[in-house]
Amino acid sequence: MTSLYAPSADDVMRRLRPFGLFFEKSLKDLIKGIRSCGENPEELERFLSKTLSECRQEVESPDLDLKTNAVVKLTYLEMYGFDMSWANFYILEVMSSSRLQHKRVGYLAASQSFHKDPDILMLATNLLKKDLKYDGNNDVLKMGVTLSGLSTMVTAPLARDICGDLFSMLGSSKPYIRKKAISALFKVFLQYPEALRDNFDKFVAKLEDEDMSVVSATVSVICELSKKNPRPFVQLSPLLYETLFTIDNNWIIIRLLKLFTNLSQVEPKLRAKVLPKILELMEVTSATSVIYESINCIVKGRMLEPDDFDTALSCLEELTKFCNSNDPNLRYISVVLFYKIGKINTGFISEFNTLVIRLLKDVDISIRSRALELLEGITDDENIAQIVQILVKQFADKDVVLANKLLKQTRQENIEIEVPNSYKIKMVGTILRICSLNNYANVPDFDWYLAVLSDLCVISQDLRNENIGLQLGAELRNIMVKVPSMRESCISTIVGLVSNNDICRQLPMVFRECLWCVGEYSSLVSNGNDIIRLVIQQRRLTPEVQQIAAQALIKIFSSWCNTSGSIQINDVKEVIQELIAFFESLSSSKSFEVQERCVEFLEFFKLCAESLEQNDEELPLLITEVLPSFFNAYELNPILHGTLKKVQNSLSIDLDTPFLSEDEVRKLLEEESSKHEAESTLASDLDMDGEFEEDEDEDVEEHAYKDEQLSGRNHTDLTEEEKRVLEKERRKEKLTNPFYLEGDYEDYVVKKENPLIDFSSDQERNYPESSSLLVGEFKNVSENPMKAKKERKKKKKAEVLVDEGVPEPTGDAAVLPDPQLARSISSSKNSSRINLKMQTKLESFNFDQPQQYVEDSGIVGTEGQHEIDQLRAKFAGSSLGQDMDEEVVIVKRKKKKRSKDKKHSKKKDGKGHLTHEESEKRDSVPAPHVEDFPASDPPAQEPL
Amino acid sequence: MTQIKYMLLVSRQGKVRLMRWYSAYDSKERSKISRELATMVLARKAKMCNILEYQDHKVVYKRYASLYFICGISSDSDNELLTLEVIHRYVEAMDSYFNNVCELDIIFNFTKAYEILNEVLVCDGSMTETSKQAILRSVMTMDSLETSDNLDQVLS
Repeated sequence: MTSLYAPSADDVMRRLRPFGLFFEKSLKDLIKGIRSCGENPEELERFLSKTLSECRQEVESPDLDLKTNAVVKLTYLEMYGFDMSWANFYILEVMSSSRLQHKRVGYLAASQSFHKDPDILMLATNLLKKDLKYDGNNDVLKMGVTLSGLSTMVTAPLARDICGDLFSMLGSSKPYIRKKAISALFKVFLQYPEALRDNFDKFVAKLEDEDMSVVSATVSVICELSKKNPRPFVQLSPLLYETLFTIDNNWIIIRLLKLFTNLSQVEPKLRAKVLPKILELMEVTSATSVIYESINCIVKGRMLEPDDFDTALSCLEELTKFCNSNDPNLRYISVVLFYKIGKINTGFISEFNTLVIRLLKDVDISIRSRALELLEGITDDENIAQIVQILVKQFADKDVVLANKLLKQTRQENIEIEVPNSYKIKMVGTILRICSLNNYANVPDFDWYLAVLSDLCVISQDLRNENIGLQLGAELRNIMVKVPSMRESCISTIVGLVSNNDICRQLPMVFRECLWCVGEYSSLVSNGNDIIRLVIQQRRLTPEVQQIAAQALIKIFSSWCNTSGSIQINDVKEVIQELIAFFESLSSSKSFEVQERCVEFLEFFKLCAESLEQNDEELPLLITEVLPSFFNAYELNPILHGTLKKVQNSLSIDLDTPFLSEDEVRKLLEEESSKHEAESTLASDLDMDGEFEEDEDEDVEEHAYKDEQLSGRNHTDLTEEEKRVLEKERRKEKLTNPFYLEGDYEDYVVKKENPLIDFSSDQERNYPESSSLLVGEFKNVSENPMKAKKERKKKKKAEVLVDEGVPEPTGDAAVLPDPQLARSISSSKNSSRINLKMQTKLESFNFDQPQQYVEDSGIVGTEGQHEIDQLRAKFAGSSLGQDMDEEVVIVKRKKKKRSKDKKHSKKKDGKGHLTHEESEKRDSVPAPHVEDFPASDPPAQEPL
Repeated sequence: MTQIKYMLLVSRQGKVRLMRWYSAYDSKERSKISRELATMVLARKAKMCNILEYQDHKVVYKRYASLYFICGISSDSDNELLTLEVIHRYVEAMDSYFNNVCELDIIFNFTKAYEILNEVLVCDGSMTETSKQAILRSVMTMDSLETSDNLDQVLS
């Protein structure tokens, strides 16, 4: 029996809830439950899913307290990886509650889960607008909650709507509100930059606010905005400059320094004024983070000129202090900064070699790994051996560092460090890079370097890193090719590596490059048959290796047969049989490259075997003459990276000069009229291959070509006189011949390998003054630096060939490139990391918004605006479509109206030119709105 | 001044105690980051520096008692020392709010911990309130307001 006054059970529960008395599971129960499950994951799973389903029910309850409680629990569960975006609409309901307790929970949950969910953000917009309605008299804290939550939810339309309110809040008498408004404005500006343009002065005036936290917030906002676009703030520099030296708050100083970093990137004039002050500040202050930021500002703000040694020195001195400190963080950041300074000019850091070497032995691997990057700047031919030795030592799995050495404690302590593989890989890369720097300028002794390389091959085989193998292999090959005096000892090292089965298996790329070297320089090897057997025995090679191996085998065979004097015919036969077996096994390889090569070589060896059958006395001509001529025609020289492309681009084909004059052709034609039939068909077959595109139509030309080939006569043999005459004739013909294309045709054809490449005509085209052939220049390029090098470094034992290249076709290209240039080209290739200047930050410039910042000009880029509006309309339209079926009462009505509006505008968008007017009209709406409010607002500012 | 991308609180057992994302990451990325970072950070020794590189950005962490505070910051333009300072401010603020804060305080009052974080890191992690008093004052007043709000409702 229930009395009228006796409250029902429901009623009691409802009343008790505000006091935290729940009969449902509270957050505390949830946490306790989770903790009691302890280590049993299944039980935990069950408990969590049960709670989750409870939450699903509770969240739908009409009671706001209950709903709020469920939302809190969901927020907690999100940390366990449960997505809560399904509850977004309930969160919105909680947010719209009038009570602060609910609001706080709602906004908290919203900031956790609303990220970039367009549907819900549309709905939240109206709520926020309501909450932010500023009448000068609002509940300070409620406003604070809203403003904090705002930052995650600002969308472009919302930003437009609320910026008026926010600006009037700037006039509030409460610093808290002013501060929050400033920070909320940051997000608004990002979404709606017009607001900043129109209210720039009003916003900037807050830099001189009497409350320090407001100033701080303003500086922060300007600093953040300047990251996106520094230009509009350059005009503030005098004021900021003033502030920097009147203020004694380190937080603000650091932010100002950051701001100047951004500003001086676009306004180089700032450097002269700001740099001395920053240096002064660095001396005065005692705060490490201010010093750090000052150096940061100098380096990143591009205030450090590559020749400004004084500034660099004072920065580096501070950094050295950091490096010697006990705090690993200081050591780390200073190493990073060292690197950045070194990037500007390696000369700055070259004296700090002892410091860097010490850092290489740091306890912390991440500091070591950063120090590795510095090595490029500090190595020279004297310390390289020491550095490499330190690094190679670190390959031991456990590295023990005496801690007392670093920390200056009396207690001795050994710390074992696991050296991760990634560090080892980086280490190998660094060793190779510092050694090969400037075309091996630092390597004092190539015997030593070869030993290092073969050691590295042995110790890095367990890393199973393909890239390392590639680098090591390339390095071995480079030494082989570039240091002629070392080839003898190099080949023995390489043969040693090839015969090491482990390396062949673990580092196939090293094996591949080694094989290539052995093949190319097989004349240096006397026991070629053994190496051939060794390679043949290697099973399970990858196609990339097989393809080089096939080539190498035949080269080795060729030199073995022809150089080693007393060779037994029977041995040769045996080897040929083995090779035939090997190539046969690969002639059905899946890799077509391998297959093709192997089939070719297989056939060749079969021929060899046949001819050996016929003649047992001596080696057949096929082996002694034909085979070597395949490979020994030219000496290989190192070529600068990308040279081939340049050659291709700068050469042209002489399509105008006929091979034979017309008279000659006629004569030949008559002579060989009988043969003509058969040959012309053959020749036209060739034509089909597209090899000789210049032979457009005339049989005459085909003949010319054929005859040319037969007689082995090159057109360059023609005298200048003849050539000129012929050229004239050709030109005439060309004009009347419809089959000639114009323009770039020549350049295109040039790409094909063709015996017609005409160096001399290129000469005329690109370097009109120089009469020498380009070939001659090639030689000069390769010789000159070599000479210079020899003179400069006489103590050097081995001479290193410089990569050959084509000079840039610039105006003064006729002047031979000096060795310095050649070196800088090659070094920039090798060590692009440290020699390149810092990239501008503006390149990575990222506007979150497509809007153009035309800050103070007062003119809106109508086109950009137009696009944005279209986008906005589209965005709004699409999200609204989905909103329709959701049960949200609060904002629905307004929404519908909006959506109609948007759809309307969208429809118009489809109709072309109408759109422009339309959107322009709409553009003009916000501007007066924004300009309106200052007039109407001042009274609102006063009463507070 | 420091564009903080996210802030994680991870226990020594690798459990996430708090997470706040200031940049947009979807839930897959979130769980990946928190999982990977927890293992990376926990594996580091005490003598190592508190900065590591992760994906395309830097991570600054600091250990207080059994909790690791982990912050992701953008790599090129942020001051790592300052980030450490921000973490310290946050811990200090919590310490005075909870009066000797421990991990359990944060677990059971995670909403409060979030509130304090909201006051410390304003506006998507791009700004910091540096005054401890100001932080505490606003959190406290909000608390008291909340209680009186409740009281009002019950009395009505």
